[in-house]
This record gives sequence, C-alpha cells and structure tokens, in this order.
Amino acid sequence: MSTSANSYNAGIMAKTGKDFADEYFAEKNQVVHESDTVVLVLKKSDELNTVVEEILLGSHKDQNRTLVVEDRAGFWWLKANGKIEIDCREVSELLGKSYSVYDLLVDVSSTIGRAYTLDETFTITSELMGLDVKLQDIH
Amino acid sequence: MAISSATKAATDALEVNRAPVSVGAQEVHKWLQSFTWDFDKNRTKYSTKYHMANDTKEQFKLIAKEYARMESVKDERQFGSLQDVLTRVDAANRVHPKWNESMKVISNFLEVGEYNAIAATGMLWDSATAPEQKNGYLGQVLDEIRHTNQCGYINYYFAKQGQDAAGHNDARRTRAIGPLWKGMKRVFSDGFISGDAVECSINLQLVGEACFTNPLIVAVTEWASANGDEMTPTVFLSIETDELRHMANGYQTVVSIANDEAASKYLNTDLNNAFWTQQKYFTPVLGMMFEYGSHFKVEPWVKTWNRWVYEDWGGIWIGRLGKYGVESPASLRDAKKDAYWAHHDLFMIAYALWPTGFFRLTLPTAEEAEWYEANYPGWYDMYGKVYEEWRARGCEDPNSGFLPLQWFIENNHPIYIDRVSQVPFCPSYSKGASTLRVLELNGKKHSFSDQWGERMWLSEPERYECQNIFEQYEGRELSEVIAEGHGVRSDGFTLIAQPHTSKDGRLWTLDDIKKIGCVFADPLKSL
Repeated sequence: MSTSANSYNAGIMAKTGKDFADEYFAEKNQVVHESDTVVLVLKKSDELNTVVEEILLGSHKDQNRTLVVEDRAGFWWLKANGKIEIDCREVSELLGKSYSVYDLLVDVSSTIGRAYTLDETFTITSELMGLDVKLQDIH
Repeated sequence: MAISSATKAATDALEVNRAPVSVGAQEVHKWLQSFTWDFDKNRTKYSTKYHMANDTKEQFKLIAKEYARMESVKDERQFGSLQDVLTRVDAANRVHPKWNESMKVISNFLEVGEYNAIAATGMLWDSATAPEQKNGYLGQVLDEIRHTNQCGYINYYFAKQGQDAAGHNDARRTRAIGPLWKGMKRVFSDGFISGDAVECSINLQLVGEACFTNPLIVAVTEWASANGDEMTPTVFLSIETDELRHMANGYQTVVSIANDEAASKYLNTDLNNAFWTQQKYFTPVLGMMFEYGSHFKVEPWVKTWNRWVYEDWGGIWIGRLGKYGVESPASLRDAKKDAYWAHHDLFMIAYALWPTGFFRLTLPTAEEAEWYEANYPGWYDMYGKVYEEWRARGCEDPNSGFLPLQWFIENNHPIYIDRVSQVPFCPSYSKGASTLRVLELNGKKHSFSDQWGERMWLSEPERYECQNIFEQYEGRELSEVIAEGHGVRSDGFTLIAQPHTSKDGRLWTLDDIKKIGCVFADPLKSL
C-alpha cells in the first residue's frame, strides 16, 4: 500500500469509525484548505494503459516523484503535486502510430486542476491559467 | 455594392494572417481567432449582473473537425463494447439486483440533467462575448446532446437486456408522484437554466460538473464494477471525457469575471448558493444510491464525498482561487454534516414512501447493518433498530398491511418537504443538518429544512412555487394516486416500486395498497 500523501486512501481516508468522524468534524476541517495537487482520471484503454505504465510510471517517473497512480476498476486515478504532463509525440512513437493530443482526450475522463493543450502536449496544473499565467497559443 | 461588416472583417483578417498551409488543428485554431467580430452592439437574451471579458480563452483549442473525430471514436468504443462483448456475456443479467435498481434512478435522473444542460450552455453561448469562450460553450452544447442520448441508451440497454425492465424503460411517467423527482428538477433544471447567466454557469459548471460529476459519474463506476455492472463504467467514463472541458468552461467563466467589480460583491454569495443547492440534493441521493442500493460496498459514502468534494474540489478549485477573493462556502459545515448523515435520513423516508417510486428498495441485511455501524457509529440506535421493527411487522409482505409510513405517523414524526430544494425531511427524526423552519406568505405556509434555502427563498419567493406531493394530493387515497401517476407495471395493477428485490417475494399491487387506506395529508395544515 502506498504511503504517499497523495494516495487514494491517504491521511483521514485511512481512518475508520470514530477516528474518522473526529477528524472529519474537527473545527479546522470546516473550511476548505488550498491544495497544490492535481487529479487526473484516465479511462482504461490500450493507449492509456501504455501512457500510464510506460511513460508516467516508466520513463518519466523521476520527473515528478509525488505522482501516485491507482487502479480503480474502470479507470486509472492519478494525483500529483504541481502538474502532470503528457507529450503525445512520445506516445505516438511508443504506440507506433499517429496519436494526437485529441486522440488522448478520447480517454481522459476527469480533471481536478487547470487542464489545457498546447500543440501535442496535454497538461494539468495547479497554476491558475488565465489568471496567474497566460494561456499560450501555438507559435 | 457595400460589403457586410462580417465580410470586411474576414477580408481584413486574411490580409494580415494568411490561411495555414498545414492542417494542424491548433494552427487552424489560432488562425480562426482572427475571425473575430465587433461586440460593441452585442445583445444577449440572457443577461447577467457580471461583465464577462471578451478575451477569455478556451483551454483545449478545439476545432469542429477534431471535435467530431474525437467524439465519433468515443461512441465507437462505447457502443462497440456494449453491443459485442457485453451482450455476448449477458452482462446486464450479472448485475446485482440492488444495483440494477440504483441505475434506474442514477441514469434516468442524469439524463434530465444532461438535457437541461443543453439549454444552459446554449444560454451561456449567447451571453459570452469572447469567441474562444463561445467556442467552448458550443462544444458543450453538443456534448450535452450526446450525454442525453447516452443516458437514454443505458436505460434502454438495461431494459432490453437486463432483469427488471420496469423503471428503466419509462421512469419519467412517474414524475408527478415520486418525491425524488422534484428535487432533481431543482438541481438539474432550475439551477442550471433559471436566473442570472453566470450564476447558472456556477451551478452547472463550477459546482455541478467540476464537483459533483466526480462522485456521480466517476466514483459511481467503482460501485458499479463492484456490483457486477460493466455497462455503466463503459458509458459513464465516456461521458466524463467531455466533462473536463465543461469544468474548464466553468473555470474560464470565473476567469472572465475575475476583474469585474461585481465579482467582489456577488461571487461568494452565488458560489455558496450554488454549492448548497447542488449538495442539498446530490449528497443524500448519491449516498443513498451507493450505500443502500448496492450489495458490495466500495467505501463509506462520506469518504467518497470527503475525497472528491471537500479535499479535491474544495482544495484544488476553490482553495486555489482564495487569492482572488473566493471564500470557502459558508454552508460547508452543514454540507459536511449532511454528507455523514443525510443519506441515512433520506433512505429512511424513501423506504417509508416506497410505493411512490419507480424502483425497488431493500432494507439493510444484518451484515450490512454491521458495516453501517462500524462506519457511522450511532447508526444502529437511530436507524438499524427501526428497520428491525419494520421487518418484524412484515413491511416487505403485501399481506402484512404495513407501510413504514405508518411508523412515522404512529410515532408523531411528520415528514415535510423543503420548499426550495424539494427534498423531504423529518425534523423530529433526523441526524443530518435539517431543522424545521416555517414561513407564511399571502396566507400560504412554506416549510424549510435549513437557513441556506430559506435565505434563497426570502430573496425571490416567486421562484419556488412548485407544489409538493402533500399539497398536490391532499385528501387523496394512495393507490388512486399511484394509478393516476402511472406507477404500475404493464399488467396495470402491480406496482413498479417494491420494498424488496427478492425473486421469491410477492409483488405489491394496487389492491394491497388500497386495503391499507393511506390518505395524503399536508403536515403544514396542522401547524
């Protein structure tokens, strides 16, 4: 079981019964707390399984050590600090076929954070795109 | 001959920005941006108190060609799975019967939400002035049409291939008598399409989609899989692949008004109203469907809510916007209490009113009662022992002559309907955040379960005039109302709703209900 603070059942979620209730109803938890994390839900498919196993947990694992990936039956659930980025040119090379960022979006199921595309890259970030950081167009 | 201003704008744009020689989607998208037009005289049918900036972006840079290709692949994968593998393995009959009933509610209600979201995003397209923002909203209009069809299709699939068609095939005909329908219309219809356009966006996109679609459309697939349902993950996770663009639309709506003076005055109130409106219904109904409508439990609903609503939506969406003046919703404390208890309160009332539904409900087994007590300490003393009494009085057996609603009457626990959310509540037997408040306007009494709805009603009481079932059917006998409201199966006398999912248990008929002599009464009249 993952001990990362980003795992599906981290922190309070690992508690049960009265212990869970005590923390859940604690005064400090009656307001929202800002989080620097992002969440990504990927529908399982041949392509997305490859993205998860070969790229995010494979060649790019060192790029963000806070990334956690969990198998939740029909989907992969991902959580990380800062951002998660997928370059579809790399996916295309790995799959051996043309695979654009719009092909990726066929199976990207949910996002919590600011998700956007630029050229062939998909990014989900904790940054406030359009407020703190300008959204770019292809050059 | 004079050329139109639109033609001139296009001609001028072509002068400075030649058409791209490649067909790269994002290059085309960038080029299309030069085909903007003058919004000085823009008129919208749907006004807003906010000023929406006209330079707002669309985060995914979609053009029509890529959109159509992407969506056709999604549909091909979804329908391919359903019509080939899942039909061949008889997947619809492998679903646990309890979960089969939950999907009658979830998919039928979501269909209504998707249908209303078509109108909501059409309205937003009309209100926005930024071309990219309009593009994002327009894509969403098309998505919502797709989702309406998908929800309709999954009910059709369950009805055609599965184990109990009644309720999957024609649920909407029961909408006048089912007490859950009107609350659903409040969140999924009124909240999305009535009033200020930006406020509707906050309801639909920033709260409904960015927050509650994650439990409703993503987490639900975990429960479905655990209970043998492979169709729902196939369809719902495909629906959700569009929702991320809708969440981005909602965020960009906020971006477009972030520098408007009106945001500092109204945004936190509108956000709190939207959060309370959406949570007031979704929190108890989803919790009830997940926990009481399943055999195999994934996790306590309160944990699902804590993860997707409090920690992630609250922290990552709302918390991050704190430096722009967005505050933690004032109603969060009550919402958290509801997330822990309100679905238990609602199930108790739903089971008591079961003949008015379009689905079958089942009382928790002894094994499930242990699970509830372990995860919600205090559950047994409040709910478990009452269910034991109901079962001992034969609530599942038509020969018993006992409807659990009688227990509420015998013990002087009147059930009211909250005027704003239309959610039923029992103030004298509740552990959620509901307390009774009654106000009178023009000689008519109105009941409220919380201060948040009461405040909304006080600011525009004319918006909440929907009759509840107690007012609508006062003095009428229950079996008559069920027959009139189409609550029977194709034989004309067996109820669609039942208080059990047992294959061996006898099904209740109109005659069984008539023998009990239950008559609707408006509890507000006796106050």
